[in-house]
Amino acid sequence: MAATRTSTTISLPLASRLTTAVFSLMLGVFIIYGVGLSHSETLHDTAHDTRHSYGFPCH
Amino acid sequence: MLVKYLLATIVAGLFAGILLTPAMYVRNVPLILHAEEYENAGGHEHSNDAAAAATAAAPAAVAPHEHEEEASPALPFGRFGNTLLINLVAGAGFALITGAAALFLGRRITLQNGIYWGLAGFFIFNLAPAFSLAPELPAMPAADLATRQAWWLITVLLTAGGVYFIVLRDEIWAKVLGIALIVAPHIYGAPEADDLTSSVPPTLASEFAVSTLATNLFFWVVLGTALGWAIQHYAQSELDA
Repeated sequence: MAATRTSTTISLPLASRLTTAVFSLMLGVFIIYGVGLSHSETLHDTAHDTRHSYGFPCH
Repeated sequence: MLVKYLLATIVAGLFAGILLTPAMYVRNVPLILHAEEYENAGGHEHSNDAAAAATAAAPAAVAPHEHEEEASPALPFGRFGNTLLINLVAGAGFALITGAAALFLGRRITLQNGIYWGLAGFFIFNLAPAFSLAPELPAMPAADLATRQAWWLITVLLTAGGVYFIVLRDEIWAKVLGIALIVAPHIYGAPEADDLTSSVPPTLASEFAVSTLATNLFFWVVLGTALGWAIQHYAQSELDA
């Protein structure tokens, strides 16, 4: 039990993970905003089928 | 910056995005096309169609590069190409968010537990919002767009918090709080249109709701597993350093 638990955690301290985590989160949120929520007409029309299929509120 | 980790998550996201595209074309896209036959001139134009028709009609003609002035503001890769492109980008986006969550929490996504990360993502981003705000077909009646988007976003955030408290915290109060967070937006209720009459047959709508959820479940299971595999293969050394 203890062995499985250590293998699914990261020993790296938070300070060394934080920059990557924040960067990754911001980039991901920016992308998902563009794909799913942005009101830009170009983005809406390009992403149309994905937005519907993914269940993003559309139209 | 853990560059290998970032690249591994992006690779996993692109892979899941590629696989999502044919999966969408089995049921979801045919249903969208079918529903659009019932869509009247309601102010919503499907310029993806227009773009595809224009390219098909004049394949030899040199396409004008005046995007602002074209009737179709969609990117010019055709309906399939646009959807593939967006799925690749969306796959990378969801992968980056999932990878970031694991980094914040100090958890490692592996080939073995990747499917659970995927299931959590499916629950947070698809199943929970769909419980009160079912995936819509074109031409279906719906409340104000910005209101629904706000409800969707808040529901995703609350559900993510709820999953954290239920899965990763051992305290009883955390489990109770987690359930409350997940249930709260549904008790509050999703925005609903005043008039629910629709020109889209109800059978199409119910088929679409189920087929999109099944497709997105597939996407997230692939994404979670691919994330575990890619991180183990490409970023292990960074995380053990």
